[in-house]
Amino acid sequence: MAMQPHSKKRVCYYYDSDIGNYYYGQGHPMKPHRIRMTHNLLLNYGLYRKMEIYRPHKATQDEMTKFHSDDYIRFLRSIRPDNMSEYNKQMQRFNVGEDCPVFDGLYEFCQLSAGGSVAAAVKLNKQASEICINWGGGLHHAKKSEASGFCYVNDIVLGILELLKYHQRVLYIDIDVHHGDGVEEAFYTTDRVMTVSFHKYGEYFPGTGDLRDIGAGKGKYYAVNIPLRDGMDDESYESIFVPIISKVMETFQPSAVVLQCGADSLTGDRLGCFNLTVKGHGKCVEFVKKYGLPFMMVGGGGYTIRNVSRAWTYETSVALGVEIANELPYNDYFEYFGPDFKLHISPSNMANQNTPEYLEKIKTRLFENLRMLPHAPGVQVQNIPEDAINEDSDTEDKVDKDERLPQKDLDKRITPENQFSDSEDEGEGGRRDNRSYKGRKRPRLEKGDNKDASAEDKNSKDELKPEKVEEKDEKPSSTEDAKKDSGSTP
Amino acid sequence: MVLAEKNSENARNGRRSRGPSPNGHVQESTSEDESSVPVDKIRVGRDYQAICPELQPEALRKPDLLADRALLVWSPTTDIPEIKLEEYIVLAKDKYGYNGEQALGMLFWHKHDLDRAVLDLANFTPFPDEWSVEDKVLFEQAFQFHGKSFHRIRQMLPDKSIASLVKYYYSWKKTRSRTSLMDKQARKLNAPRDEGAPSEGGSEGGSNDDSDHDDKKWTIHRGIRRKSGSPLRAGQAQDENTSQGERGSCSNCGVGCTYTQVTPKGTLCNSCFLHWRRTGILRPTSGPTGGKRGTVPGIRHKRKPPRGMYINHDDLAAMATSGAGVLMLKALNREQDALQRQIQQNKQQISSLKRKHSDSVEELRPNNENSSRINARWTNEELLLAVQGVRQYGKDFKSIAEVLGNKTESHVRSFFIQYRKRYDLDNVLKDYEKNNGPIAEDVEDKMEIDESGNDNSSDVICLSPSPTANKKELNKNSKIAVSQGK
Repeated sequence: MAMQPHSKKRVCYYYDSDIGNYYYGQGHPMKPHRIRMTHNLLLNYGLYRKMEIYRPHKATQDEMTKFHSDDYIRFLRSIRPDNMSEYNKQMQRFNVGEDCPVFDGLYEFCQLSAGGSVAAAVKLNKQASEICINWGGGLHHAKKSEASGFCYVNDIVLGILELLKYHQRVLYIDIDVHHGDGVEEAFYTTDRVMTVSFHKYGEYFPGTGDLRDIGAGKGKYYAVNIPLRDGMDDESYESIFVPIISKVMETFQPSAVVLQCGADSLTGDRLGCFNLTVKGHGKCVEFVKKYGLPFMMVGGGGYTIRNVSRAWTYETSVALGVEIANELPYNDYFEYFGPDFKLHISPSNMANQNTPEYLEKIKTRLFENLRMLPHAPGVQVQNIPEDAINEDSDTEDKVDKDERLPQKDLDKRITPENQFSDSEDEGEGGRRDNRSYKGRKRPRLEKGDNKDASAEDKNSKDELKPEKVEEKDEKPSSTEDAKKDSGSTP
Repeated sequence: MVLAEKNSENARNGRRSRGPSPNGHVQESTSEDESSVPVDKIRVGRDYQAICPELQPEALRKPDLLADRALLVWSPTTDIPEIKLEEYIVLAKDKYGYNGEQALGMLFWHKHDLDRAVLDLANFTPFPDEWSVEDKVLFEQAFQFHGKSFHRIRQMLPDKSIASLVKYYYSWKKTRSRTSLMDKQARKLNAPRDEGAPSEGGSEGGSNDDSDHDDKKWTIHRGIRRKSGSPLRAGQAQDENTSQGERGSCSNCGVGCTYTQVTPKGTLCNSCFLHWRRTGILRPTSGPTGGKRGTVPGIRHKRKPPRGMYINHDDLAAMATSGAGVLMLKALNREQDALQRQIQQNKQQISSLKRKHSDSVEELRPNNENSSRINARWTNEELLLAVQGVRQYGKDFKSIAEVLGNKTESHVRSFFIQYRKRYDLDNVLKDYEKNNGPIAEDVEDKMEIDESGNDNSSDVICLSPSPTANKKELNKNSKIAVSQGK
């Protein structure tokens, strides 16, 4: 559990000071105030001043209807607590009322949350930042024309849609205790977005997320669901998260990642039933960050708000690569964190109903599915990362190296014979993003040095890039051009 | 849409029936089998999926022209060292009442020019709290009545927006616990009097609460003394000068006041008098001044009032009547915040030092053991040390071995036998007995037990400097002994 030195990244953070003032209603577990608590902790930990702080604009109706249906957004814009009675029928249709109540400022709240994620995506597209954080976002249950599970507007989908303009493949990872059904549904039939959700499954909201739900049509095998049982602890979570994400990264090769950091998977959550600590939850962030891809972090669930703000504060520090003290600094909401006033929390003694065998079984099934991906490498190469996975759990530093090297070979192998031509030309575009803003400052290093994770990270990337450039220059350039033309004319 | 509705129904049920019920797992395991069909499904169709935008060809991309769609309010700088920045924020907070965000905003406005930002701080005092005392009282009443239905509360406070009510609620929520602490303390003070079991009541609250409490009272008192004008100061001075029973101070609570009432119980201040008249007993009081006045000290002690808490009626009157009271409280709050901040900062520092310390211990530990490898050969210096050891410890060979560091107990024992004649160790032992009394068997045993205890502890706290220090001392002694011998 020792903390490794994190690598420093440019981090942008999106926050609107009004967001904490929205109130879902008496007794409702969702409390936007937690975002303000997080913000206040960040400020007093001195993390605020290490990031670029943005106040997002309010997303317009136009922006939101990039995903949502017009009449749903129009409905959200017009409904207020005092005119609810006029909208009875629509409220039923859009599932607004019970779990997703009509509260004062509902539409503005959606605008701010969506605005943050869209702005974050734009920022990543501009390559002006490596990591963008919007704790006000992450509302992953919202559907195209339907509110669900405290979510009205799906800021994640809007953010990913923005990313897709500049990235051929975007990976979405969801560590909320609930299934990320809204995002999965939105991208269920596309091969450009892979959704990976780790969640409690079985008699649990929202009821979707079966292991066998793998996507449809072109998107078959591009939805990955990891159904889990009660009591997941740090160790078992890592034992499933690391190998699966490694495998996904290797086979899907995204050029940008969105991580939904729902904090209801923490121990002691009011609605959740997992047993993760802040450290275990943050490890997921740390692991994804190591890939060095354009990275968007959004909030999500989390209903024991003192722990939510703890987790998100810690995860911001992980993103920044800054170590922070376990003693909380004095802050506006200090009393909420009693009696110990510490950052980290300890797990409860609840039983972990996920046996190693169960997790192993899931893993095998998912690996079989991932093997079906068109990008998947040949059998020989595939075995290598599985060895690496076992090492991963103790020394994550090696992951990048061990996996990226085969990837490089893999790239070579795939290019000539790849039938999925449009993903090909765009894939190169995505990679070019990486190349243009990263790594250039650092020349190639010797491979021997295993200790410095960040150096390793960049190192392997540097090795990757030149080849990709060559790749592009040599082979597919003519077809690519042709496609671009045809793509842009209609 | 039927499907949608059905789904939403399920969703709601799912949400409601969540929880670690054992049923959940049964359900789950069955759904693993191919037989059962999951009710909730991801839907496929034009009404459900997002339409992915075309990937923009590299050539057409103009990332620089993309609108940020967000307002930059702070960007990090490397020009200003961390300490200076910290100082600046603290200054803005303490002197001008900014919050950290506003302070940094000001600095950013001045393009990270620290000096200009400092100068500008005074020009923009942040919005004062727009909540008047009446508003706050109204809110509290409304809250008691309506709970967290903010739209109902708003009917009593029509000029406030819901947002502002919510914001105030979350900051008020924590202060409420503060005032309730006061109430708790008051109850605590009253309860033992009635029940006659004072010590029980005193220890009721957690230690955490108590310490918090003490701090606060202390601040308040100090604040009043320092910040309020001369009349209070005079009152205090008077309080200190007047002795027992004199006019101008209460014999019960010992607080100085202008008006006193003479009663069979002694001269009482107004509050004590009223209390006595109503209840027939003396008002329970607290504070160090009470002790001075010779009222039964035992009871006072058991009740354990917050340290340093005493109330001067003139102070109270000043607080209640003049508008300065609000300002004063505000200043006190700010001071308290600053102190709390300091406390947490210190705690952070302590823990980081502790961590560093324990890390370095880990580094040093193996080295230490290596240097003191057991060696059966006796150097001259070690022999002298051993003789000195016998003088100090008698036949406690274990202690001697420990001091020597690289010898075992049996080594020392054999040394004792071997060199008994040569160094006249019997004489040395006599020296020891002169100082420490005769060596009886049981004493020796006890010593050994003691030493083994010490041994353990020194194993655990490896870096504690005492063993080496002892050694050095001993070294010095032995040198002196040597020179004397010559």
